[in-house]
Amino acid sequence: MSERESVRVAGEPGSIDVSGLPSTTFGHRTITWWGTIGFMAAEGMTLIICAVAYLYVQRNFQVWPPRETPLPSLTAATIQVLLMAVSVPVMMWTSRAARRFDLGGVRVGMLTSTGFALAFCVVRWFELHALHTRWDSNAYGSTAWAVVFAHATLLIAQFFESAALSALLLVGPVEPKHFSDVDDSCLYWYFMTGAWLVLYLLVFISPRV
Amino acid sequence: MTAPITADPEAVPPEARPAVRELHDQLERVWSDGPGLRGWLMSTDHKSLGKRYVITAFVFFLLGGLEAAVIRAQLARPENGLIGPDLYNQLFTMHGTTMMFLFAVPVMTAMSLYLVPLMIGSRDLAFPRLNAYGYYVYLLGGLFLYTSFFLNVGPDAGWFAYTPLSGPAYGVGKRVDVWAQTITFTEIAGIIAAIELIVTIFKQRAPGMSLNRMPLFVWSALVMAFMILFAMPWVAVDSQFLAMDRLIGTHFFNQAEGGDALLWQHLFWFFGHPEVYIIFIPALGFVSTIIATFTRREIFGYPAMVLSLVATGFLGFGLWVHHMFATNIPQMGESFFTAASAMIAIPTGVQFFCWIATIWGGRPRFATPFLFILGFFAVFIIGGLSGVMIASVPFDLQVHDTFFIVAHLHYVLLGGGVFPLFAAFYYWFPKFTGRRLSERLGRWNFTLFFIGVNLTFFPMHLLGLHGMPRRVYTYLAGTGWGSLNLLATIGAVTIFVSVVIFLVNVARTLANGELAGDDPWGSSSTLEWATSSPPPSYNFAHLPVVEGRYPLWSRPQEPPVVTGLRTDQRELLITTVLDARPDHRHRTPDPTIWPLLAALTTGITFVALVFTPWAIVIGGALAIGPLVAWGWGKPQPGDPVVTEGVE
Amino acid sequence: MRDWLQSALRPAGPEAASVHALWEFMLWTSVVVFVLVLGALAWGTLRRRPAGADPLAEGGPGERRMTGAVSTAVGATVVVLFVFLVFDFSTGRALTARREAAVRIEVTGHQWWWEVTYYDSIPNRRVTTANEIHIPVGRPVLIRLNSQDVIHSFWAPDLNGKRDLIPGKESSLWIQADSPGVYHGQCAEFCGYQHAKMAFLVVADRPADFARWYASQADTARTPTDSLTARGQEVFLSSPCVMCHAIQGTPAGATMGPDLTHLASRRYIAAGSLPNTRGNLAGWILDAQGIKPGAHMPPNSLTPADLQALLAYLGTLK
Repeated sequence: MSERESVRVAGEPGSIDVSGLPSTTFGHRTITWWGTIGFMAAEGMTLIICAVAYLYVQRNFQVWPPRETPLPSLTAATIQVLLMAVSVPVMMWTSRAARRFDLGGVRVGMLTSTGFALAFCVVRWFELHALHTRWDSNAYGSTAWAVVFAHATLLIAQFFESAALSALLLVGPVEPKHFSDVDDSCLYWYFMTGAWLVLYLLVFISPRV
Repeated sequence: MTAPITADPEAVPPEARPAVRELHDQLERVWSDGPGLRGWLMSTDHKSLGKRYVITAFVFFLLGGLEAAVIRAQLARPENGLIGPDLYNQLFTMHGTTMMFLFAVPVMTAMSLYLVPLMIGSRDLAFPRLNAYGYYVYLLGGLFLYTSFFLNVGPDAGWFAYTPLSGPAYGVGKRVDVWAQTITFTEIAGIIAAIELIVTIFKQRAPGMSLNRMPLFVWSALVMAFMILFAMPWVAVDSQFLAMDRLIGTHFFNQAEGGDALLWQHLFWFFGHPEVYIIFIPALGFVSTIIATFTRREIFGYPAMVLSLVATGFLGFGLWVHHMFATNIPQMGESFFTAASAMIAIPTGVQFFCWIATIWGGRPRFATPFLFILGFFAVFIIGGLSGVMIASVPFDLQVHDTFFIVAHLHYVLLGGGVFPLFAAFYYWFPKFTGRRLSERLGRWNFTLFFIGVNLTFFPMHLLGLHGMPRRVYTYLAGTGWGSLNLLATIGAVTIFVSVVIFLVNVARTLANGELAGDDPWGSSSTLEWATSSPPPSYNFAHLPVVEGRYPLWSRPQEPPVVTGLRTDQRELLITTVLDARPDHRHRTPDPTIWPLLAALTTGITFVALVFTPWAIVIGGALAIGPLVAWGWGKPQPGDPVVTEGVE
Repeated sequence: MRDWLQSALRPAGPEAASVHALWEFMLWTSVVVFVLVLGALAWGTLRRRPAGADPLAEGGPGERRMTGAVSTAVGATVVVLFVFLVFDFSTGRALTARREAAVRIEVTGHQWWWEVTYYDSIPNRRVTTANEIHIPVGRPVLIRLNSQDVIHSFWAPDLNGKRDLIPGKESSLWIQADSPGVYHGQCAEFCGYQHAKMAFLVVADRPADFARWYASQADTARTPTDSLTARGQEVFLSSPCVMCHAIQGTPAGATMGPDLTHLASRRYIAAGSLPNTRGNLAGWILDAQGIKPGAHMPPNSLTPADLQALLAYLGTLK
């Protein structure tokens, strides 16, 4: 045994007792918040790459959208944007309820978010039709579908996450950490809706200008 | 009461032994994998999974190496009839895909997933279940690729799968689809590992280990993780575009319908070039760690080393076009990428000079890990210098896609990846297993590997300059390439022998190697050496408190520790990002089978995606069960439960 | 050096020569850098150290000297890289300078052969051949590159670097040969099964020879003059050959495979894989798959007499 492996006694200067620290926290103090940020970064990259492909193939077309393809219709996509805009304050309210450990509040919040997410998915169906092109028509169709569909996977995943969290909050057993999960879910929501605003401008508005 | 970092009864005075033994038993009950096969399958321990990860990646290294051996045998003489073009094209595709996607990156993340929690003084990774899921997805991806290969559906369009050769019109059959989905598997595993590492490094460092005290290996794991996070989605999306072009008739890369073959190359290389640094940067971390131990002095210029790592990480994203100089990129663009490619030599140079200074100022000890580091210097510098050469557009246009590039990339990846990796294997093997590899066999291993690598790859520089393109299954006698190729094949045999010696060394050591003790090198500086070899399931009986950059060197007689973390359930200490001040305690989940089952549903999805787009729907439906079960844990006794009305 | 079929270290034209000069500069600079760095490493590793001194106990000595040495080395690296960039950019500019092309040649990549077309303002002076490019010596030649199927790369290392042939994206490359001779080249971008056997020749002729060659290539194929070659032509026209090949002056006009109008004038067959001898041609016609597995040339079964007649006919296509 070398010298270094000899006895070590607690109560040494510098030793730290952590038994008094909290076990549930919120926001950037928690590792789940950082994990959520990590997944947002990876998914955000995915959306960016689809957008890059959309912009890249544009160089191969003289008109965009290509001839005989109408401009994408705005109705469904605009409804989507408005719906998302309405949902954000609800999620902010849910986030505050979570931070108060308000079980009734987060139940209402998460159930509402499940409804919103379902509505997003339904509207997304109409948005895909509103593109007036198919993925196998040409590169415009392929990339436009890629952008809208890639974002749809976020919506579907969020629907299942909201539904599962709601069920858990209703059925239980509810642990304090679940409030933190609700809070992180709200963070993801802001990312998901914010990302759509940018992609909406790209796919539905930019061909018009 | 005694509060040791290791729960080793031998290391405390007799009167304290019962208490230490009891602490060990308690922590072991809470943290160890369950018994038997069930426990093995349910494990979420970063060390169990890390070891499996390293071993799996090494098995793929051996498979990739065998593929290379067949390639070298075929090229040993002109117009050789050993294998035909069909098998040859599959073999070099498999070799590249295996080495890049199934060996090099996974082995680096695997080493990090094993080492980082120990080095920063934590009990586990941030998301242990996710880690298990990531490993199984990776394993399934590798099994899928090799099953396909043995069923004669091995990909044959190169590891870079350029369209249109890989597209629906020319890449007939399912071979390229297998490749595209394999990529998706490995990218998911890579991104998961990256998130694990980033969060663990940011939030779980032992109290006192502020960012400017973080070991250089942890810095390099952090930079690697960020690079993975921002690079891997590119190839994941790219390969899905390709799969969709083939499966549902999209036109991402179909020039006739407005798609673009160069879009494939841009997206691929925007990942592909950082990929090289994803392999190289953790290796730099190995080098720094091992040099410090074997010269018995701190690494010269720590701030410069950290800044160089970070700068390399950023610059690594600005070079991708230098893989595409032959495709008619505008000249202004070419100049920019030439300059960026040359510039990345600066941070690499800074690190080399700092290491040389460190060695100069220290007292080197020529154990096997250090020999491999010296080999790394010699081999990598050649690869680095040829790298600067091919940053030049006119010169690159001569040697691009020739054996000169094959030589360059192997000098870089073997020099900058595999030499440090072997050093790391020898260095950390005692920590992984409790036993030391034989030094005598280690020296043979090193010597033959060093000779073999140079004998194999140095002649390839000349072959490329004398006109031999890459990826040719044969060549005519009149080309004059025969003797240099034969020399390269002899070198490959030497490498083969060297790797066999390594395997023998491992087998003999595991059977009856010399016991290592906690710190067999006697001068290690990082925290993993403060605990037993192999580490107990809970890593540290008491988490250490860190008071310097080299905690084991500056350690007082009785180092300060963390007390008060619960021992009756799995709890991690979460600290602040910059200063690593204790912030809160985090209940981390217990072992479970669900990540494995979820990975199986993911695997089914991607395999089915080779055949039908409906796989997404079916796989998604299958995954719901395991995912809900994964997240919806039963609280254990002692876990707080919230009931209605409780604040 | 003449042992190599093709080599970038044996420049035969101004483009390859300027790259070669750049290479020599980089090579010797690298050798110096390599020796200096490894020398420093060897010295740092092996130098004698005072007995008993343990840096772990002492703390590192000589930190200031080390800072100076490391900074100097980094500075030197920056200077070397700067010089390299200047040399590189000037070489690059010289290579892409605008010139007047003496000849423009269109090269189209196919799996796995090269279609070569010389355009002329008079349509019937247009020349189509395969795998063998003739150029006038000492004159700049512009090669325009395109592909019919997948990506290929045109590379004749004695003359210049390579350029990719990407379907739908035309690119171009200058070549020029300083002295008459035959220069070999080959596809450098992996293009499938027979990427290995997709070679070509660049034949640099004196201007008078080039003009003669061009005139003969612009002609239609010779008509058979005896019964054997007439029989051979008949065999050709009545067999699957006409599905893919063209012989100008006959009804055969397919463009899937190489144009055979002047087949006998070429040095190699099967894209540089085989010398153009009667025996090789016979083997290639009967069993191309045995020689170049995966090539689009199917096996043919011909009676010995038909084969001999066909070979005799093809032998007249000078």
